[in-house]
Amino acid sequence: MEEQSGLSDRHRKASPWPLFIAVGLALAELGVFLDLVSIAIGGLLLFVGCLGGIVSEAGYARTPWPFIGGLGLVLAVVGIALTALYPLGGGGALDLGFRAVSIAVAGLLCMGGSLLGRVVLERQSTV
Amino acid sequence: MQIDGQIALTVLMGLLLLIVAGWIARIEDWRSYTPLASGGGRAVDDTAYETQEKPGGLVRWLTTVDHKDIGILYGIFGTFALMWGGATVALMRTELFTPEQVLMEPTTYNALMTSHGITMLFLFGTPMIAAFGNYVIPLLIGADDMAFPRINAIAFWLLPVAGTLIWSPFVLMSLGIEPAQTGWTMYPPLSVNQSALGIDFMLLGLHLSGISATLGAINFIATIFTERAPDVGWERLDIFSWTMLTQSGLILFAFPLLGSVLLMLLLDRNLGTTFFTTDGGGYILYQHLFWFFGHPEVYILVLPPMGLVSLILPRFAGRKLFGFKFVVYSTLAIGVLSFGVWAHHMFTTGIDPRIRSAFMAVSLAIAIPSAVKVFNWTTTLWSGRLRLTVPMLFCIGFVSNFIIGGVTGVFLASIPVDAVLHATYYVVGHFHYIVMGAIGFALFAGVYYWFPLVTGRMYQRSLGLIHFWLSFIGTNVTFFAMILLGYGGMPRRYAEYLPQYATLHQVTTIGAFLIFIGGVVFLWNIGQSWLEGPRVEDGDPWNLKEDGLVTQEWTWFEQKLETRLADGGEPSDDETAMADGGERE
Repeated sequence: MEEQSGLSDRHRKASPWPLFIAVGLALAELGVFLDLVSIAIGGLLLFVGCLGGIVSEAGYARTPWPFIGGLGLVLAVVGIALTALYPLGGGGALDLGFRAVSIAVAGLLCMGGSLLGRVVLERQSTV
Repeated sequence: MQIDGQIALTVLMGLLLLIVAGWIARIEDWRSYTPLASGGGRAVDDTAYETQEKPGGLVRWLTTVDHKDIGILYGIFGTFALMWGGATVALMRTELFTPEQVLMEPTTYNALMTSHGITMLFLFGTPMIAAFGNYVIPLLIGADDMAFPRINAIAFWLLPVAGTLIWSPFVLMSLGIEPAQTGWTMYPPLSVNQSALGIDFMLLGLHLSGISATLGAINFIATIFTERAPDVGWERLDIFSWTMLTQSGLILFAFPLLGSVLLMLLLDRNLGTTFFTTDGGGYILYQHLFWFFGHPEVYILVLPPMGLVSLILPRFAGRKLFGFKFVVYSTLAIGVLSFGVWAHHMFTTGIDPRIRSAFMAVSLAIAIPSAVKVFNWTTTLWSGRLRLTVPMLFCIGFVSNFIIGGVTGVFLASIPVDAVLHATYYVVGHFHYIVMGAIGFALFAGVYYWFPLVTGRMYQRSLGLIHFWLSFIGTNVTFFAMILLGYGGMPRRYAEYLPQYATLHQVTTIGAFLIFIGGVVFLWNIGQSWLEGPRVEDGDPWNLKEDGLVTQEWTWFEQKLETRLADGGEPSDDETAMADGGERE
């Protein structure tokens, strides 16, 4: 995957990522604040994945996977730390519901996805 | 039932992710990586396709990062928001035609009022300014595009999402999601204690719109600082860019604070934190934080329209802007002072009198740079060769309305006057003279002035004139009546009122409908002229060359027309446009 050919390589004034970054961020916020687990995880996945896409498209990174993995790690750490501070079931000062767990799961999924992307997709592209 | 709902949401979310991944994979053409990596063999058709800068059809608009396209998208979104904001106020004013409740429940009225304020400020005003900024500023300063084109697109796409969140409760009422009824200021304890899910939606939507505005501001600052053409030094920077630069600076300090306050409200509502409860930070803390954002927001909304007027008005006065430097200095002065006036919104809350007097002084002082601008616009008109085109009429209307809105504001800055008039229709009249009479008028002036530049066609002058006069008369009838209502003691934000206020309320409603009809004429004019208006064949449709007042964007437009003609042109049977709407002498 040395040479990537994205939309913006063919069309200098187009990129598919911004729209989905916006949608991902909105879904992530909605899901986390209203404690809707699937929307929170899906939104975060969409947001982080598309950020990875736009960063590599803009040439700030060679491939999106390290960025997605790194951001996934941040989310996982934040989610796990919040879960430890405010355990499920309202043990801490605040009852976070499944919010922290959603963030942690999304982070772990991003890390998994990053690994999968590096191992499977990059290997396929170099065959 | 709850688990079923969660499963349904999970399935929907999974489907969405799959669709997005599939669409992006298709559009990004992942398969082309393999041949490229193994030597770069591509189909011949593809090579031809590569010469285009943008894909075609709907995909172009969903994926564009071109500043001009994004400017148009902002404009379309802003127009849609204007329609919703206009519809809400039309319903409210209809209800207020009679003292007693006739058309709607007071709760519905409160929801419409909240939506009207939030929509007009965050989803119409800010995006319409961004529309002009995006389309015109790179052209004015000779830049190829904005400094961060992709971030520019992200900033735009956050807005429709934010709008959907803010407006959706009106559609989802049948599902038990009630719209917010907090007013645009969202004061706790009301905004924390009300259980309506619509408040959470609104707070989240506003948070996203704040992120959008901040991203946009960063982009404008970076663009104006780093992307200017070599021959555009600071001394040659146009007045609109100066105001956008100042506005972006204000956004950078104000909007992140709003974002934080909104998150704190959300946490108070959903997680039981105590940022703004009596035992915690207290309600006054919220008001301080909100107005530290809220008052600069007024200048965030008014500075670029002032820039538009400072740019457009001299073009039709046949002379350069009088005292250009002082208009720039006054812009910067307003920018700085705007952060020192916020507590004038809180004069009646019982805060320390010494703090109040300090804020009164600064609030009165900010009238000085505003008056400098009015003086400069007036002296630009003085002995000028005036051409009363539609954009010029809106500019003159702006100056007239701004004087009334500004002077009524000076009175309000005085503590004893504010103590009497606070929370009355006087305040509503005052700030609507600014937001509709000034900001709205300047934005209309901008639309008409650059209509040929954006669409390549000319609007219909007669409809433009009808729009102007309906708006000008309507604005003054509506908002002057509101000022009188306020002096009479009519409190704001009520769906019902005492019969003694009926006459002035009816006058206000009639004025509001004049503005509303004007708005419909405007939409028709813009829509029809964009599709069928006479084509502009002259790169200088306003005859600016005569007075040596051509700006960079019109030079770009002229070159574009010449290129089009060199390419074979577009055979047109349409009538060729004359300046200001194709009216022949």
